[in-house]
Amino acid sequence: MTTQIVESILKEADKRQAKRVMEVDLIVGSLTFLNPDQLRFWFGVLAKGTILEKSHLRIKSKEGTVRCLQCGFEGILNCVDDPVYHIPVPTLLCPKCRNVVEIVDGKECTIKSIKMVI
Amino acid sequence: MDLFHKEPILKDCSLWRCSPLKPKTKGVVKADEGEIYDIELDVNILKANEKLAEENKKTLSEYGVTAVDVMGSIGSGKTSLIEKMIEILRDRYRISVFKGDLTTTIDAEMIAKHGVESVPINTGKECHLDANLVSKALRKIDLSKIDVLFIENVGNLICPADFPLGSEKRIIVISVTEGPYMIIKHPFIFMDADVVAINKIDLAQAMEVDINKLKLDVGSINPKAVPVPTNCRTGEGVPEIVKALGL
Repeated sequence: MTTQIVESILKEADKRQAKRVMEVDLIVGSLTFLNPDQLRFWFGVLAKGTILEKSHLRIKSKEGTVRCLQCGFEGILNCVDDPVYHIPVPTLLCPKCRNVVEIVDGKECTIKSIKMVI
Repeated sequence: MDLFHKEPILKDCSLWRCSPLKPKTKGVVKADEGEIYDIELDVNILKANEKLAEENKKTLSEYGVTAVDVMGSIGSGKTSLIEKMIEILRDRYRISVFKGDLTTTIDAEMIAKHGVESVPINTGKECHLDANLVSKALRKIDLSKIDVLFIENVGNLICPADFPLGSEKRIIVISVTEGPYMIIKHPFIFMDADVVAINKIDLAQAMEVDINKLKLDVGSINPKAVPVPTNCRTGEGVPEIVKALGL
């Protein structure tokens, strides 16, 4: 995934013949399997020797949000307490009407913006 | 003064050198060297796979083929389940199987022994199938000659959740030998499931695993997913799986 991110940025920078990329704003949905710390580490490794080297990577996490088609509830993905192991478990149960919600946000990995020197 | 010999008013003006037929552009604004460009990209890296998955779904629908994702942990019994489902369904449907694996074709060959067309998809070191690989595999078979397509993913309960393939239904296979926490440890993949096979139930007692608790775990994460205890060696529970899949 980090390779895809780096390649997308380099492609965009190449289009505008940028000399250096200064900042990258990334939004990572909390419902993806991506770990921001890991992303940051591999970004640093892959950026070496490219115009991305020494760029400042800002990662913003996006909460998973859901919507209930039955009662219209909209909010952050809820967790329930497991009665046996007492750990929070994410659930698709609507906290209002107990029907099933659908996920509307939180599954993306988006390059929001980049700042580069031409 | 001769009225027909008017002196040009703008004689000394540089405008004399402009051709009146050329449109007057204001000059293109370019960034100076060293200038900073701040660009809003808004590119979702996972969107590319989603788009391809939608295309796969459309293609399958055009040919009236029902595709079923079969996902689950390593060694949970995905291939065994597919083999047992083939035994039940072969008289009613023409079946084909895509078998995702890292490098070998062992499982694909096992399925081929049932007389069912099996296309191995080797992902190399990638830990999941993606819509692009499935799209390539779809071009290798004659979709007009099949009714049901099982797509068996690489054994993994994490990454496949982020990579839809374009299937109509999703079944997750876990087994009691993985211990009691497997479902609550990996909630996100169960959120996309239509059916969950809880396999190797003959070993539940030896493993001290409560099958009912596992069924409840599925329900608390995704009430729409149907949990079905199975023994894919004997075939117990497989008819219920087939029914839950709508086949």
